[in-house]
Amino acid sequence: MLRFLSLRLGRAALTIVLVVTFAFVVLRLSGDPAMLIMGAEASPEAIAAFRASWGLDEPIWVQYFAYFGALAQGDLGMSMRDGRPALDMVLDRVPATLALTVPALLIKIGLGIPAGIYAALHRDSAIDRAVMVLAIAGFTVPSFVLSLLLVLLFAVKLGWLPSGGNQTLLHAVLPVLTLGIGGAAILARFTRSAMLEVLNQPYVRTASAKGVPWRRVVVGHVLPNAMIPTVTIIGFMVGNLIAGAVVVESVFSWPGIGRMLVTAVANRDLAVVQTILLLVAATMVAANLIVDLLYGVLDPRLRQAPAARGGH
Amino acid sequence: MSALLDARNLGRTYRMRQGLFGRVLDIHAVDGVDLSVAPGETLGFVGESGSGKSTTGRMVLGLEPLDAGEVRFEGEPLPPTGSPAWRRQRTRMQMIFQDPLAALDRRLTIGVQVREPLDIHDIGAREERDERALSLLSLVGLSPVHAARYPHELSGGQRQRAVIARALATEPRLLVCDEPVSALDVSIQAQVVTLLQKLQDNLGIGMLFISHDLRVVRQISHRIAVIYLGRIVEEGTAEDLFQAPLHPYTQALVAASPEPGRGKIRRQPLQGDPPNPADRPSGCAFHPRCPVAEARCRDSLPSLTPVDGTRRVACHLVSRQ
Amino acid sequence: MKDTPISPDQMSESTEASHPAGSFRPSRPPVPLAVWLAGGWVVAMVLVALLADILAPYGITALDLRNRLAPPGTPGHWLGTDELGRDVLSRLIVSIRVSLLIAFGAAVLSAVLGTTLGFLAAHFRGVVEQIVLMLADFQAALPFLILALAVLAFFGNSLVLFVCLMGLLGWERYARIARGLALSSSGQGYAAAVRQLGASPARVYFRHILPNTASTLIVSMTIVFPEIILMESGLSFLGLGVQPPQTSLGSMVGYGREYLTTAPWIMLAPAITIILTTLAVSLLGDWLRDRLDPTLR
Repeated sequence: MLRFLSLRLGRAALTIVLVVTFAFVVLRLSGDPAMLIMGAEASPEAIAAFRASWGLDEPIWVQYFAYFGALAQGDLGMSMRDGRPALDMVLDRVPATLALTVPALLIKIGLGIPAGIYAALHRDSAIDRAVMVLAIAGFTVPSFVLSLLLVLLFAVKLGWLPSGGNQTLLHAVLPVLTLGIGGAAILARFTRSAMLEVLNQPYVRTASAKGVPWRRVVVGHVLPNAMIPTVTIIGFMVGNLIAGAVVVESVFSWPGIGRMLVTAVANRDLAVVQTILLLVAATMVAANLIVDLLYGVLDPRLRQAPAARGGH
Repeated sequence: MSALLDARNLGRTYRMRQGLFGRVLDIHAVDGVDLSVAPGETLGFVGESGSGKSTTGRMVLGLEPLDAGEVRFEGEPLPPTGSPAWRRQRTRMQMIFQDPLAALDRRLTIGVQVREPLDIHDIGAREERDERALSLLSLVGLSPVHAARYPHELSGGQRQRAVIARALATEPRLLVCDEPVSALDVSIQAQVVTLLQKLQDNLGIGMLFISHDLRVVRQISHRIAVIYLGRIVEEGTAEDLFQAPLHPYTQALVAASPEPGRGKIRRQPLQGDPPNPADRPSGCAFHPRCPVAEARCRDSLPSLTPVDGTRRVACHLVSRQ
Repeated sequence: MKDTPISPDQMSESTEASHPAGSFRPSRPPVPLAVWLAGGWVVAMVLVALLADILAPYGITALDLRNRLAPPGTPGHWLGTDELGRDVLSRLIVSIRVSLLIAFGAAVLSAVLGTTLGFLAAHFRGVVEQIVLMLADFQAALPFLILALAVLAFFGNSLVLFVCLMGLLGWERYARIARGLALSSSGQGYAAAVRQLGASPARVYFRHILPNTASTLIVSMTIVFPEIILMESGLSFLGLGVQPPQTSLGSMVGYGREYLTTAPWIMLAPAITIILTTLAVSLLGDWLRDRLDPTLR
């Protein structure tokens, strides 16, 4: 278990190092980092101070480590447009994004998993077919189209809901729905196939052939085993809580991280982009780590043999 | 030495990590193996699975790295694996695999694959290679019809014939056959062995014939070496080895293989656990299963010592006789 | 994400029974109607993309100021016009060409890149393999949209850079698959046999391993292709992908969004095209997967 833990932690740390390296490399490739991070209008003193604090006169590998040091102290540069520390600006926006993505995640889980389980247990029924059609639609209809269609229906035609902004709770309904529906469809499809795979396992057929009540087989054997792969995709969704609403926030003029990122990219506000990149990566890596640990709890065999899956 | 193939003191060691907290274990898959094959001669190489016989076969071809020892082919050491010289040398030494379906590319026709060694080594004019492929097929008893077939359209025996034709395309001097018939139906086995025997007689190829099946080995081999847990325990002419096996392990193997005409002699099945390379017993590795083991067999490793002109045995009790 | 466990021994090649010459072939189920329709749609889209210059009635920037915001069905403008009086049908046709071109170029790029890296990892093992797997982990750990936005922010936008960027989508999946397949076929079997015949590594990989893995890789391509279309149109929708005056399906939707209340057809025409195209390719991919490679999920 100790080995398993340290291995996973090592991998997580390695990924963070890679993302930071990526940010460092593209930053150096794209021009003078002092000018880029501080902005063209920064005062010469500020730029000199920045150079000194980030050690830009030093050899490249010294700079590389200095970059890590600066990041560790939370120094992610100033926004080119607002002149405020990028980290503060980004953190200010986190609650707004979470206000969309957390309820959406609940919808995905609350709708997607039961639908997938039901569809798998009633294979080829009308509901199964409906779930499959919706699941395919959830993948093929891009979120920007879905959000515009929802706006067209609920805001333009019916006039029930506002089409953009964040003044009231009602403003959150459409963006949350957009995120939730698409994710629920994907999760339903995934859960369904995970369930079907377990249902086809010999031990499940054996158990039901031996006369174990079907209910007990499903609750005791099928669900726990089918949930193991499902946890992975939920983990991915959790990791996406910060980054998953880029398009939807833009459509609904929602003042979260995603919209900030799009604006920052359009304005080439590199300090902000870099901050968001690192924040997203950190969230993703943390979520993956939690999933890995959950895996260990759900399926003790994985602690020893990462490839083993399936039957008892 | 006039030997075609001469291998001295071959050793191959795998490192294995045991359990979660990693006790590193060295596994001696092959240990101090000497063997030689003369032109036109067949050396049978017999052992149970896990005895290191296949590893040895791959080592003499340079397909597996040597951790100890040396392989000389036609008097020269093997070039480094994968080097151009090593690749060129493939025309001189070839291998026949256990599973012919796996050894063939299922997307290419038999004809194309039999022709492939000629393409790889650019042998002969392009236009004549198809012709040559067809004559190779007829050499192994396949007809031109089979050239257009895909591997899955042939029977197991036909596939192995195709593999043999491919191996013979460059007129090699040495053929290493690794369990060439054990994946085939028993009724087909004899045909393929007879084919190999006939080809050898006609072409004068040296052959290393690896098998767990003593009956098959006996039919084709001039000399036989018996290997147990990575070490040769007995070596001699096929005749001697069968008439008077000296090593207790060989005796058990001979007794266990029924022979036409001799009737069933007292079968004394091997007792104890089958050999496990990861858990090699001390001293003579065979002692836990040996009916005549003495105390010293547990402590000291018997060396392979000549008994008479052609025969070598590694057993404390035999050396004393 | 976890490694997708693709167990090589499940590949169909080793399970074929040794039947005598061609006596048994499983009868194949008829091709379903949906697959025919999907194939028809894809073919139509490719034709539209190829023949865009002939099919488009107007230039994409040609203004018809007397017919601004004309609804669909207007004679001469069957899908209507936008706020500047530009013909929606013509813009749609050219957008299909641009979007398909980007998606196709990117899909090929990603397949070539991923497969090559996967083969290199399998061939050299050791450090090379670790680096490739590390990069794949990195790619899988970051949402691609964020990665793409970061690159666009740092380097600005050009069509070439944009295609290359899209070509990074999904490479890690090809790399994992190609590595797995190469490892399983070189450990034993035909690849080892051919190597043992003296073939050069290039011959082993390109003449033997690649054709044997092609079906799996093609199926992966049909899975990645719709993702590329969606990613491209999403970025273009946000105004960060294809830049005006050039047009793509995504940027058309982005433009049409401003006229959602007055002229929804500007946005609907490209939106429906995106949906149908991704749907068609996904359906074809699912069908191909079932037909060619049941082990891939």
